Amino acid sequence: MAITILPPAPAYLEPQDDISSDDSDVDGGVDLEGDSGMRPSKRARHSSDQELVTPGEIVTDDPQWMRGHGTYVAPSTTEIVATVAGTVQRTNKLLSVRPLRARYTPEIGDLVVGRIVEVQSKRWRVDVGAPVLASLPLSAINLPGGILRKRTETDELQIRTFFSEGDLLVAEVQSLYADGSASLHTRSLKYGKLRNGVFMSVSGTGGGGGVVRSRRQVWTIDTVHGGGKVDVILGVNGYIWISKHIEVVGGDTAITRIEESVSSTVYSSQNDEIAPETRREISRIRGVIEILVQEGLRVDEDMVMKGYEAAVEVDSENQGESNAYLGGEAGKSLIRLLSAT
Amino acid sequence: MAPSSTQQVLLSPAELSYLHTSLSLNPPVRPDARTSSQFRPLIAETDILPGTNGSARICFADGTEAIVGIKAEVEKSRPSYQASADRNVAEDDDDEEDEETRRDEQVAKEKKGLNEWVEMSVEIPGFRDDDSMPVFMAAMLSEALLADGAFTNRLWINRRFHWKLYLDILLLSQPLSYPLPLLSLTTHLALLSTRIPRLKSEEDEDPLFDDDWAASVFLYPRTEALIRPPVTLLVMSVGDNIIFDPTKEELAVAESVLAVSVGERPQEKGQGDMDVDSGKPVRDLRLLAVRTIDPPSRLTPAGVPNTLNTATGGTAAGTTEQASSKRETMEEEGVWQPPRGGAKRKLIAAMIQAVLARGGVAEEVLDGLDAVELG
Repeated sequence: MAITILPPAPAYLEPQDDISSDDSDVDGGVDLEGDSGMRPSKRARHSSDQELVTPGEIVTDDPQWMRGHGTYVAPSTTEIVATVAGTVQRTNKLLSVRPLRARYTPEIGDLVVGRIVEVQSKRWRVDVGAPVLASLPLSAINLPGGILRKRTETDELQIRTFFSEGDLLVAEVQSLYADGSASLHTRSLKYGKLRNGVFMSVSGTGGGGGVVRSRRQVWTIDTVHGGGKVDVILGVNGYIWISKHIEVVGGDTAITRIEESVSSTVYSSQNDEIAPETRREISRIRGVIEILVQEGLRVDEDMVMKGYEAAVEVDSENQGESNAYLGGEAGKSLIRLLSAT
Repeated sequence: MAPSSTQQVLLSPAELSYLHTSLSLNPPVRPDARTSSQFRPLIAETDILPGTNGSARICFADGTEAIVGIKAEVEKSRPSYQASADRNVAEDDDDEEDEETRRDEQVAKEKKGLNEWVEMSVEIPGFRDDDSMPVFMAAMLSEALLADGAFTNRLWINRRFHWKLYLDILLLSQPLSYPLPLLSLTTHLALLSTRIPRLKSEEDEDPLFDDDWAASVFLYPRTEALIRPPVTLLVMSVGDNIIFDPTKEELAVAESVLAVSVGERPQEKGQGDMDVDSGKPVRDLRLLAVRTIDPPSRLTPAGVPNTLNTATGGTAAGTTEQASSKRETMEEEGVWQPPRGGAKRKLIAAMIQAVLARGGVAEEVLDGLDAVELG
């Protein structure tokens, strides 16, 4: 069957509760611990991360609470109003709303994947999924050949040969400006232009599932079915790059030699030869990450590896032709396998 | 040529080259590992708007979502001078026996609907209603609906009155990929669920309707086997591969994109041949319209091969003409080249064939839509 059409699933299952009708919000707010202890049944029902509020909703009018992130107090009232859709969090007497979905807020040292959207005379503007574009100055990149020298006007004229509009790169957040925008750098052999793979964008650090900051953001998967090695780069900002692993030529590890051998292809936008098997496995990894995000699970090395193993298992259980597609039934059995472990 | 999709997706030459090579393999490797004729699962429901005669909502897996509401209104028909002239002639004729048969013939002739009885409006967020995108969408959808000329006949009440049908098509999300198939499938479901009040008056009286909604009749009655509104599907090609339900990334490397509208031929009773294997009647599909859509891949910048890139040890060409002539004569693997020229005639025929063939994609899509519970 080429097409599957599903009936809509209820977005949120209302807990089956007999008293749910009489405890409607009489006082216009989610009851909090500081409230009168009249309705213990309701408080017991809510686990703290189930209290969803929408922007404009009054969280409480009790003056004992202090407002935190994601809330607002109108002048001359004591009502704390949510400004984002999310879950209510309480830390002592501080009340904040953690958004369900948020844009990425850069922090120094984050590994990010970005896309060039604008080329200026001495810098690039990079989309990293943050509220404002990040900038990558010409002085913060490695020059081809690994030469260390001052940037001249010739480099400024040739700025598009390094990165041009649409190019993807992996970089590190070097510093932050006052308006929250980030300044990036690629002055390491780990960073630079991306090729030989596919890009995908999921929600980043900040809310719900998605990429989380972890020990390793970049690693290599040994794939099955002759796929060879595949690199995965999980940008903290939720941008993900999955590509064929390229061995360092010559295997020369001398620290001074590496620069010369690698950097001749650092700014190349030409793909190497990639076998169909590798492409299929890249698609499979992409499907796994998509399912993880759909299920609201965190995306990190551990979960992706588990998910990939489960996906291979699900595929091998299926009779007939091997298919890496993870929609519909295959996806459901993958989730079952993941939740079983 | 209909305008290409919405916003240009910004992709790097390396990504475009990867996608293009993957999709031109045999079998193609799609970024989400689907087979070439596999659709993403979609979520559909009907009768969601209580104030309309029929409505539907469809949600695609990429997050695009559309709702369609259909409203019917009784309208006075414009007096047709053609018809009245005929009537005068008929009145002059004294022959009494022929009166009855002639009258029947005339009713059959007058039962012909007019295209202006259907009004379609498409709303896409971020576009004005006179932008080319919504206008083209509405034109393509109404073209498919009105192509066989039989649809408007359903709106005929009597010689003086008819139903006027307003189709309001609303895309709720940003147009992430080309929204035409989404809008078409939603319109299809909404038309299937459309009900109009049952007529109580007779002949050319002022129309009087049964006010019991439970007694209302479907615009597409279930008794008429296998007559369904048209669907428009998006088909794209890369190399010799024909790919259905393309995502926005796949559209970005398409060599040609077609919007194929398919309808069903009304079948005479008893003539519908049964499929021997499954025992269900075979759909008699026919092509209503084909439109080419400008593929967004033509607007993408070409990749620079290593030999022409100073940053990778190559030597840049002196002028832009030299650069483009060097690049285009070079058959280098892994460098993105935007497609040039049109699609081959054979390929277009193969794309249409893949949609229409018995057991082909259109049949499966119509079967899938039939299975959606109405109401």
